[in-house]
Formats: sequence, structure tokens, C-alpha cells
Amino acid sequence: MSLTFGFKDGIMAGAVGGVLWGLVSMAVNSATGVFTPEAGLVHDTVSFALGGVLFGAVAGGFLGAGGRAIPFRNVYARAVFTSTLVWMLLRVGGAMLSAIEPERYHVLTPETVQGLLLSALLGAMVAGVWSFWKGTAGENGNTLKA
Amino acid sequence: MERILGRENTGWMLIGAAALVLIACAMVVVAFGMESVAPGVHDAFHDFRHVIGMPCH
Repeated sequence: MSLTFGFKDGIMAGAVGGVLWGLVSMAVNSATGVFTPEAGLVHDTVSFALGGVLFGAVAGGFLGAGGRAIPFRNVYARAVFTSTLVWMLLRVGGAMLSAIEPERYHVLTPETVQGLLLSALLGAMVAGVWSFWKGTAGENGNTLKA
Repeated sequence: MERILGRENTGWMLIGAAALVLIACAMVVVAFGMESVAPGVHDAFHDFRHVIGMPCH
């Protein structure tokens, strides 16, 4: 069985999509008002872009390496599934930290809902970059174009 | 161009996998604001962490 892994391309597409996602996340939060920023605009622009790079690269890396482990054939569905799964894993870890150290880690439902929706948006944006770069064709459930 | 898993690509795959693991670790450090791992990361990414729904103080 041949397996095609697109680590590099996935990470690259994810990083580019992640930067865009980070900036869009900042704008979405400003629109929803779920969290009032405590830092300045310049600081947040840099931190959201860097954070977006990390999250996007991880989502894109797993998207590129996922192969058959990721259900769906459409690259958008695959990317949204992957990014949401990554976010959920982190969120489960956060819930465990909150249970261990409740005075340090507070869980806020509006932020959680916003985060879940933003994670799906991250997948869509990574898939958008991927499609723009590589095209949606070329995946057969086992391989992605590298 | 498709790259097929084989001996000639194993090295690059390992490098890619290692890079992905490193980035994933960095993501976890940022997501949870682990000051013990990277001093200053909590404050640097505080707003980001809240906006993406990760628990924080």
C-alpha cells in the first residue's frame, strides 16, 4: 500500500491559513465582544498571528499526514474535522487543568462556543489556502497531493 | 507531485514528523500558557487564549 504524506505542504498551507485565521479571530472577537482584550492592538495583532501560525501549522500538518485516518473526501470537510478535533483535544486538556486547578483555569461558556466555531473556521481557511495552492483534486481518501 | 512512502523519503518524513511534533508542543504551551516551559508566554498570548476558548484566569 502506498501512502502519500504531505507534512511540509500541510504545515506551510496551515501556517499561511493560520496567520489569516488569527487576524480574522481578532476581528470576530471584536464583533462579538465575547472577550474584552487586555493588551493593545499591535501586541494582539502579533500574538494572534503567531498563535494562528502554530494552530494552523498543526491542523495543516495533520491534514497533510492524515490519509485514511481522516474521514471525508472533500478537503474542506477534512480540514474542518482536523482543526476541530485538535481544538477539542486541547479543550479536554484545559478542562482537566480546570478540574485540577480551578482557581487558576476558569471555563467560560461563551468563549468556549466562540473557540469551537473559530476552530471550524480555521479548518475552512487552511483548506482554502490548500485548495488555492494545490487544488481540491488529487485526494482519494488515502492520499493527498504533496 | 506525489511523494510515495519509500526508503528515499523516510528521512524527510521523519524530519516532517519531528517538526510537526515540535510545533504541536509549542501550540500546547501557548494554549495553556505554560510559564514553567516558556516564561512570558502566558501574558504574550493571554488574549489569544481567551478568544479561542481555552481556560484561563
